[in-house]
Amino acid sequence: MSREYEAVYIFDAGLEDTAIAEKLEKYHALLGTTAPITLDHWGRRQLAYKIGTKETAYYVVARFHADAAALPEFERALKLDDGVIRYLVSVHEHELGAPPMTEEQLAARRARDADDDEDEE
Amino acid sequence: MRRSRKVCPVTEAGIRFIDYKDERFLSRFITDTGKILPSRLSGVDARHQRQLAKAIKKARYLALLPYTRSQSAQ
Repeated sequence: MSREYEAVYIFDAGLEDTAIAEKLEKYHALLGTTAPITLDHWGRRQLAYKIGTKETAYYVVARFHADAAALPEFERALKLDDGVIRYLVSVHEHELGAPPMTEEQLAARRARDADDDEDEE
Repeated sequence: MRRSRKVCPVTEAGIRFIDYKDERFLSRFITDTGKILPSRLSGVDARHQRQLAKAIKKARYLALLPYTRSQSAQ
């Protein structure tokens, strides 16, 4: 059965952007899915705590439909890659019956967050 | 006289699903040292507190939130 999953990858910040794109393509090919994969590149950001010696990392969030049977091979490949510091694959959860947030809603939320900051200062 | 019950801040914010990737929202529910704030103090209802706890733990794994933070650091 195919389900919708969400994966967060934490790549070594030292990798080139093209290398990261290549890796993503390689791993997503393992899923054997033809449906489009939504990618959200957060880019390089500070880690909340050091992982080994690393203080920054490149974050990518992907959403895809895949067969559960394809996941073990996919995760094995991720685990073996030294360029991937961490990853988390989970079933994409959102409130049942509720549509996922649209770009506008997300933008509105970011704007609201920014307002909150001003209040605090 | 009984004090009126606090309104759950998650319900109030109109959050439909607690997202583990939204560390700015989750950071409102951890202490300065990084502990999960008890619902007794935050007023979060039980259902949302369970969802929050899971989301915070995922966010910690992804290094979006700290597991601990020394008090002098912040």
